[in-house]
Amino acid sequence: MFSRWSWVACGFYLVLNICSPDASGGLVQSCGHIIPESPVLALGSNFTALCILNESCLDFGNIYASQIIWKIKNRLVPKEQYREINRTVSSVTFNDTSSLATPLTCNILADGQIEQNIYGITVTVGLAPEKPKNLSCIVHQVSRFTYVMTCTWNPGRHTFLDTQFRLRYSWPEEIFPDCIPKDVNNSCTVSDIQFFVNTEIWVEAANALGKAESDPLVVDPIDIVKPLSPQNVSVSSGVLPTVLKLSWENWISDTVMTLKFNIRYRIVGDTNWMEVPSEDTASPRTSFSVQGLRPYTEYVFSIRCMKEDGMGYWSDWSEEKTGITTEDQPSKGPPIWRIIDTSHSPAFWTVHLIWKALKPFEANGVILQYEVTVRDKSSLSSPVKKYNVTSTNHTLQLPEGTYEVTLIARNSVGASPPSVLLIPASNSKPPVKNLRTLPKHDKLWVGWTAPNSYVLKYVIEWCLVSSSSDCVIEWQVALGDVQGIDLKGIKPFKCYLITVYPLYADGQGSGQSVKAYLKQDRPSKGPTVQTKKVGKAEAVLTWNHLTVEEQNGFIRNYTILYKTIDGNETVVTVDPSKTEYTLSSLTSDTLYTVRMMASTDSGSRTGPDFTFTTQKFGKGEIEAIVVPVCLAFLLIVLLGVLFCFNKRDLIKKHIWPIVPDPSKSNIAQWSPQVPAKHNFNSKDQMYPEGSFTDVSVVEIEADDKKSFSEQDLKPFDLLKKEKSTSEGHSSGIGGSSCMSSPRQSVSDSDEGETTQNTSSTVQYSTVVLNGYRDQTPVQVFSRSESTQPLLDSEERSEDHAGGADSTAQRQQYFRQNGGQDETNTDRPCFERTKQITRANEGDLVGFVQLQISGQSSQPLGLGMEKNTQEAALSSVLQTCTEGQTVRPETVEENPLSVDEMPKSYLPQTVRQGGYMPQ
Amino acid sequence: MAAADSPSTALRRRDLCSRGIRLAGKMRADVADLLDAYVEQQGLDASASVAAVEGVPLAAVERWDEQTGTQRLLENLAAYRAFRALLAQMLEEQREQLGEADAGLGRALAAVLLQVSAFAYHLEELLRLESRGIPGEEGDGPPPPPRLSLFEQKLRGLGVLRELAQWAVRSVRDLRQLAKPSPATGAAPGLAESP
Repeated sequence: MFSRWSWVACGFYLVLNICSPDASGGLVQSCGHIIPESPVLALGSNFTALCILNESCLDFGNIYASQIIWKIKNRLVPKEQYREINRTVSSVTFNDTSSLATPLTCNILADGQIEQNIYGITVTVGLAPEKPKNLSCIVHQVSRFTYVMTCTWNPGRHTFLDTQFRLRYSWPEEIFPDCIPKDVNNSCTVSDIQFFVNTEIWVEAANALGKAESDPLVVDPIDIVKPLSPQNVSVSSGVLPTVLKLSWENWISDTVMTLKFNIRYRIVGDTNWMEVPSEDTASPRTSFSVQGLRPYTEYVFSIRCMKEDGMGYWSDWSEEKTGITTEDQPSKGPPIWRIIDTSHSPAFWTVHLIWKALKPFEANGVILQYEVTVRDKSSLSSPVKKYNVTSTNHTLQLPEGTYEVTLIARNSVGASPPSVLLIPASNSKPPVKNLRTLPKHDKLWVGWTAPNSYVLKYVIEWCLVSSSSDCVIEWQVALGDVQGIDLKGIKPFKCYLITVYPLYADGQGSGQSVKAYLKQDRPSKGPTVQTKKVGKAEAVLTWNHLTVEEQNGFIRNYTILYKTIDGNETVVTVDPSKTEYTLSSLTSDTLYTVRMMASTDSGSRTGPDFTFTTQKFGKGEIEAIVVPVCLAFLLIVLLGVLFCFNKRDLIKKHIWPIVPDPSKSNIAQWSPQVPAKHNFNSKDQMYPEGSFTDVSVVEIEADDKKSFSEQDLKPFDLLKKEKSTSEGHSSGIGGSSCMSSPRQSVSDSDEGETTQNTSSTVQYSTVVLNGYRDQTPVQVFSRSESTQPLLDSEERSEDHAGGADSTAQRQQYFRQNGGQDETNTDRPCFERTKQITRANEGDLVGFVQLQISGQSSQPLGLGMEKNTQEAALSSVLQTCTEGQTVRPETVEENPLSVDEMPKSYLPQTVRQGGYMPQ
Repeated sequence: MAAADSPSTALRRRDLCSRGIRLAGKMRADVADLLDAYVEQQGLDASASVAAVEGVPLAAVERWDEQTGTQRLLENLAAYRAFRALLAQMLEEQREQLGEADAGLGRALAAVLLQVSAFAYHLEELLRLESRGIPGEEGDGPPPPPRLSLFEQKLRGLGVLRELAQWAVRSVRDLRQLAKPSPATGAAPGLAESP
């Protein structure tokens, strides 16, 4: 308990000692201090610090050196570095000061582990300055009398400390003020410079860790002067066109320094400088005449100077001044060429003389005019023609011949040497050989092999080939001893046509041409391919050549790429001259996609896809199938016809069974006694057997008998008698009906029998004729009780008809056809009825075989009573309309349809009072 | 003497002479410019007659061509030492009179003063090469001039500069004479004869 309080008291005392103001000075009284105080240490060296406790603190505070702990920036220093020298002094040692930091503090660890700071110091670590190196000085001339000397040096490594540099210079017996650099540590400028005295110059560097001096530089400042460049430079032209005089002023008097000079010059617009030889300007001067210049050329001059003996530095170049040399006569004649147009008349030329303006260094002045002289060499008597031209071309109309053209350029001083161009009548001389081109960067080199003869010069023509405009010719002249030139201004990816003409002393060679590209590219578009013709296994493709603007190079080949939808692509290479190609071995009825690629040396470009489908059949295949089939069909038909023709009787028998011809019948014939009496040969021919197809049977119902008078029914009694005798044979003659079927009504086997059965009785039957199939029925017959031979009536009928063919034809139809189609037979049936009515006016009384329906019996009966003619007509109509009461006038208007008409002859129903088949 | 000259000594002498000549020439040009500036600045007449400055040997001398090299060097050294003291006094008086009002004239005076000092150093070096002892300066130089009025100071300054200009011309001729590798070198005994 005591110990705790004693430590608390001790700590309180320490705080008081450290913090309470001293009674004497009012400063903090510390219990100790560190030696050394705020040291500056060399980086990497070792360092030892001592912490010394005050004696006054020992007794009361009960603290000793053994309790001291060292800290660097609140980091405890290992106790291995401590050493307790005595009870009040503790030391700490650092082998490498690079591990030090600020602050370094000395602390007391009192009892109870209470840590109290005793003292602290700031440690500065750095390096001593290195010896400055590479000291050099230069004296700049600032004005006519003012010079400053600037010295620079290498200050060496960074010292981490505040290091002072100063430039010192002195004479042996006089030391000048030091030059202290501002803001920098590697240069300083001295303003008071005295020439002609060797001056010793050196640099001194110093900091807290040491001082270093550079090696001294001993120099006379006059030997390190960089003078100001000459001023007031002027250029003047002299009498000679190749000389310009350059004048200037120097800033430095000869008494101080004599100078030598450099003069440079260039043509305006040129970037390359030329220099006057230095030995020509190695002595002090203020002017110089520059010779060897081009006439009428603007030059730029500049000059600089330095100490004559070469010590020191060159001044900067002076400001540039320009001057123009005077004119001189042109040094050479303009290059001349011609273009001959013979399009109007081969015998009369339009000669375009063209020449190039002289270059400035050739013109030597302003060309005022050109003098063109044309001499006809083919006739000596022709006068020489002269033209003064101010432009660079001239057009002449000349007859075909050989001409010598001379051209002179003239300026204010004089005339140029003449340029001569020989225009021969024909270019018969040998041409150049092996014409070729080669791209060289942005130029196109054209080379050729010279002909064997001596060539004065060559003319190279070239033009840009275009599909839309004419070739604008450019040209150039080359000397006869060269075999190649570079063409400038050639655009890449453009096709040029280059022609080389050799010019001889006595004529001109024919031109040799070559197409060339400076640089090729792939075509700008691909060919558009399409089909010209598509077959089963082949397709003919066509395309157009790319225009020269689209080619961008020489088309080396075309490539055709085609494939089916799911097939592999097939590639075909085609010669570039072709515009058509036939794809073969294609699959029929298949969709193909084809595209085309044009290739130059630099790449390819593919055109748009094109699709086509091959045909299913080849050419002639359809014809090869159809024609034989048709022929076979025709052959079969023919054979069938022949067969039918040969078997027509058999077929006829099956198709058209022989039906007894009523027209051939007569009473005599029907009677067995007079079978041969009626022999109507003509009728046989007209109505052959079997022409009957239908026989109508008129029925009269038994109930209706009452409605008829006894007189009227007498004939029915007769019929009954006859019926009993002819029963079972009705179909033979009288059983036919207008609507009956031939098969049902006609029996071939019974034909003869029927004839025999009816021969004993004269029977008339109403035969209603229907058209067979589509044929028009023509006549209706009704059975009659008349015993009058039919022949007479028929003959009268024919006569009554006036022998008209139509009537005969109708009768023929009747005999051949039984009516089936009432629709087409209404009117003929009606008309025929009337015809018959007229023909049989006298027989209508005996007309008994009527078919009268129950509903219509009365009117019809009344009709019969009033007018038997009308009754007979009505009965006919009824027969035609199968029991319906149809007024004559409505028959025409409302013809019955086919469906309403029975198409077959049904077995007659035997009803009471009805008609029974005989 | 000549026989004793090593190549380096001869080279050194020639170099010193060359520099001295050019320094004297520059000094003459600068003094001429300074004279114009001084006359204008001090409001003096350029044609004003000025009496000889006390303590300065006259540049003009009879039988100049008969002088030995050492004599020439010694007379030059004495003259330039006197000019150094006079110019320093002028510079001080200039500062007292004008302060920093005309720094240009002060800098020009200081520059000429340096040139005079440099030329004196050249002369001393040449004398050393001649194995001659360099005469010590007499105390602190010439006795202080009596207190002069301002106008008298200006006139004296004008006289000093004029005399310096003449000495600059003479010094060039003297050094050229010394630089000649001629029998004049045989005048070396003459140098020895000089005090």
